[in-house]
Amino acid sequence: MVQAPRMTLPTQLVLRVMLADPASEYYGLQLCDETGLPSGTIYPIVARLEQIGWVESKWEDPTRHITQGRPRRRYYRFTEDGAERARDALARAYRPKKQPRPGIGISWPGLTRMSS
Amino acid sequence: MNLPSLPPASAGGDDILAGLLRLVAGARPDVDTQLIKKAYAVAARMHQGQNRMSGDPYITHPVAVAAILAEIGADDPTLCAALLHDVVADTPYTLGELESEFGSEVAGLVDGAMALDAAAREQQAAAGTGRAPAITAPDDERILVIKVADRLHNMRTLRHLPRAKQVEKSRQTLEVLVPAARALRLPAISSELEKLASAALAHGGGPPPTASGRLLAFAATVLPAPVRARWREEWLAELHVLRTRRSRITFAAQIVLGIGQLAVTLYRPAAALRRASSAVFAAAVTVSGLVVGGWTATAVIGAAALAVLATLIWVLHNDARTRRFTRLICALRGVPPPRRLRSLPPP
Repeated sequence: MVQAPRMTLPTQLVLRVMLADPASEYYGLQLCDETGLPSGTIYPIVARLEQIGWVESKWEDPTRHITQGRPRRRYYRFTEDGAERARDALARAYRPKKQPRPGIGISWPGLTRMSS
Repeated sequence: MNLPSLPPASAGGDDILAGLLRLVAGARPDVDTQLIKKAYAVAARMHQGQNRMSGDPYITHPVAVAAILAEIGADDPTLCAALLHDVVADTPYTLGELESEFGSEVAGLVDGAMALDAAAREQQAAAGTGRAPAITAPDDERILVIKVADRLHNMRTLRHLPRAKQVEKSRQTLEVLVPAARALRLPAISSELEKLASAALAHGGGPPPTASGRLLAFAATVLPAPVRARWREEWLAELHVLRTRRSRITFAAQIVLGIGQLAVTLYRPAAALRRASSAVFAAAVTVSGLVVGGWTATAVIGAAALAVLATLIWVLHNDARTRRFTRLICALRGVPPPRRLRSLPPP
């Protein structure tokens, strides 16, 4: 059984971008642009996501890249249950590790007023 | 199928002819040598002064096509037609002259091959309009065999054509000529055509590698061998669409900085390699630097240091134990531990 990826902030960003449209395909450079993360961060993440079976990758269809006159791209997309597992993992990652203890309020005037 | 062993293009015309005759006689001893010589003489005379895109004399092409056909045991009229297949279209030589000199059989084959070319061009022009005329197969199977051999030599010398032409020819090869060769029961030719066309469509004949491309190709050598080519190709495709030099260098440099992390990710199934990979990488790069010596060594060692540093930073960012260690150091120094943003709100 493969373990889930560590939900680092960059990993969460990548999953978030891909979940915006879970059915569509993304290529590396596109993920760099949409997450604002450097290429050196994106590729290890997608490699890991592919390893654990959340996403799958394949070469671009020849008719597409040939008409645009460029080499074929590698595209990543969620596997059948990948999107669901990614959503779960994102939700779990959000759950704070330590619940704030009751009684210790946040001394932020605007915030207290809003929450009361 | 073995490549016909033709003499180099720089060799004299007689050498080319002698090479072809040897090949033909080897495949079919009953060949009419005089007829082949005559066809060669006409083709050589008419194509005199014309060159292929590669710069070779044009006559090398019909001879190569004839050689391919000789290897599969084609008959004399087919070999003649192969030698003469471009004279009518590309030189002042007429179909009438061809018929009176070589007979109606050879003329019919050349004419049929030309008609096939015309039909293909018409279809190409009408492509996308929805009214593309279907190409009818010629009555004489040998016409198709000549076209398949013609295309095989053109695909072997495809790299001399402009990229757009390469793509067009390769697509047509996959769509029309590979199935045709298969239907003609020429499996060796059909598989060579398929291989050449797919390779050209995948990445071959692309732009010359930029400095960034070479850097990435070098960086990919630290990745596991089975997946190296894939990442290399993926990155070169991304580089291809980056318009400015600066953006390409940034893209490549960032990948180099993250290559340790990618290597660790890809090697992960072999857990033992996990900790060792950055050390191995550093050692390999340093050794190669020492071997090369001089400025190159300095640059290489610098790159190695950067890569190791990047790996170290990544480990520091990820390892829980290291995080605890960091906290301990911070406590000793009396500064608050670094707070990392752990998560984002769910989508």
